[in-house]
Amino acid sequence: MEIKREDILHLADLSNFSLSEKEIDKLGGDLKDIIKYISQLDELDTDKVEPTYQVFEMDNVWRDDEIIPQDAEREMLLKLTKNEANHQIKVPKVL
Amino acid sequence: MKYIPTIGIECHVQLATKTKLFSEVDNDARGKEPNSCVSPVDYALPGMLPRLNGEAIKFAIRAGKAMNCKINEHSRFDRKHYFYPDSPKGYQITQFYEPIIGEGFVELPSGTRIRIEHAHLEGDAGKLTHFSDYSLVDFNRVDTPLIEIVSMPDIHSAKDAHDYCKELWRLMIFAEVSYGDLYNGNMRFDVNISLAPEGTKELGTRAEVKNLNSFRSVERAVEYEIKRQTKLLEAGKKVVQETRGWNDADGKTTGQRSKEEAKDYRYMPEPDLPPINLTKEFIETEAAKLPLMPADYRKMFGKTIKSDILEILLDYPQLAYKLKEIASPSHPERAQVRSPKLIALDGKVSAISLIANLFVSVLLAEEKSAEYLNDLPSAKDLTELAEMNKKKELSSTATKEVFLHLFDPQMKGRGSKQIAKELGLIQENDLGALEKIVDAVLAKPETKKAQDDFKAGEEKVIGFLVGQVMKESRGKANPSAVQDILRKKLA
Repeated sequence: MEIKREDILHLADLSNFSLSEKEIDKLGGDLKDIIKYISQLDELDTDKVEPTYQVFEMDNVWRDDEIIPQDAEREMLLKLTKNEANHQIKVPKVL
Repeated sequence: MKYIPTIGIECHVQLATKTKLFSEVDNDARGKEPNSCVSPVDYALPGMLPRLNGEAIKFAIRAGKAMNCKINEHSRFDRKHYFYPDSPKGYQITQFYEPIIGEGFVELPSGTRIRIEHAHLEGDAGKLTHFSDYSLVDFNRVDTPLIEIVSMPDIHSAKDAHDYCKELWRLMIFAEVSYGDLYNGNMRFDVNISLAPEGTKELGTRAEVKNLNSFRSVERAVEYEIKRQTKLLEAGKKVVQETRGWNDADGKTTGQRSKEEAKDYRYMPEPDLPPINLTKEFIETEAAKLPLMPADYRKMFGKTIKSDILEILLDYPQLAYKLKEIASPSHPERAQVRSPKLIALDGKVSAISLIANLFVSVLLAEEKSAEYLNDLPSAKDLTELAEMNKKKELSSTATKEVFLHLFDPQMKGRGSKQIAKELGLIQENDLGALEKIVDAVLAKPETKKAQDDFKAGEEKVIGFLVGQVMKESRGKANPSAVQDILRKKLA
């Protein structure tokens, strides 16, 4: 399968990555290998197999609707961010 | 050429569960400090595991049933990927492929049915506040449970768009699944509008107006879009498929994105949350808890209460339920029991219509009405009040006065009759006693001229004489009874 330059740039955009020219070339090759490897699965006939959404075979894992005090205080969590103001996370302007 | 608008609406409803959809923190952040209702799960710290709130599933079942929807026994969650500062995970947990709520319909007050395509459970995003060169992020709203309700394109006018949104709001507050506080963004609407020439089957290119937060803005945005798109089409131009924002102050929509890229959310099954498999019994048990809905009240009261009054009442579930209590005290249950007995008004027609009028014209006009709504007088007190009015023991003015005193912290609980007595408002209906007062007034020399004038055919003076009797009785006489007696005596 051919990986085009635009595909790499589109993927990088979706993943919020900025790539150098060198990386774009390298990733093209890497992705081709990865897809080839995964494509081995195409050899299997899965027409009669139900899709699997998770591997634990569980369902209905619910909890009660009760507030539980959290170990992490607001200030602890805010400390994890680069910039904060007025107890909020400060980010470059987005619209 | 005439163009027919076709409108579909997506509505996000915040569910009023105690905790968030995937974490055990307070879901009601109204009036709370930013980032104070946030857990490490909401922050999407590495290794955190979302845990599904079972109550949100029950709320979704009730919300779905309120919209006459099929509840899917099997549903599951997906990840919808996008990068934005309001979403710390980098994806939203939603139900893209297998939503919990299936097809249904919402019936507008006009009787028009708008079909529901489906509705799904998902987590809300955080809140951004924009400043001149930066934005601030508050995660309190992250993963507040939402249901997103997707309508079929069955709406064809601005008014129906308004009525549909309003009816959805009523269904959600009657079903008690949302606070329905539009000011605080509990419900938000995205409206898709396209125009097509009359008689054609194919739909036109649509524009989407996002994030409307009132019924009025939905109606105005649709009106504006119909005008804008008609102008474009009439000029031979094309409508661009795009997202548009609504400016409430200007009353205009404007295009939001210059490059309209095909969205690529890369949905994938949410591996952290096992699927939901509901039994029929579980769904039925929840569905049975659904209280009476606006449509039930319309059936119950449609012939008794004028529709404009009834539609106002249906903005206040407390008032509707109180009227139902008065109507059928023998069936106090609030859940939907669709027996004909429930619909029958147990001979309370005049009481219902009187109390409905008092609710709308007196209670809702009060400054403290919001407070009063949460502490309504008992059905017994209101019924007693209506009975006194019917027996003419209270004039209409006195009825209003006693009604208002039923909310007075000093007086309430004493009962309508006692309050009327204490206020000296009970009308004199004892014909013997009234006759004595009338005789006393007629014996007064100052009424002589009026009596003569009336006998001479001057109809108007009867009012003066009734007034004199009312004065003599210190306002307690029943004026219509007084008039009858006067007419007999002066005949």
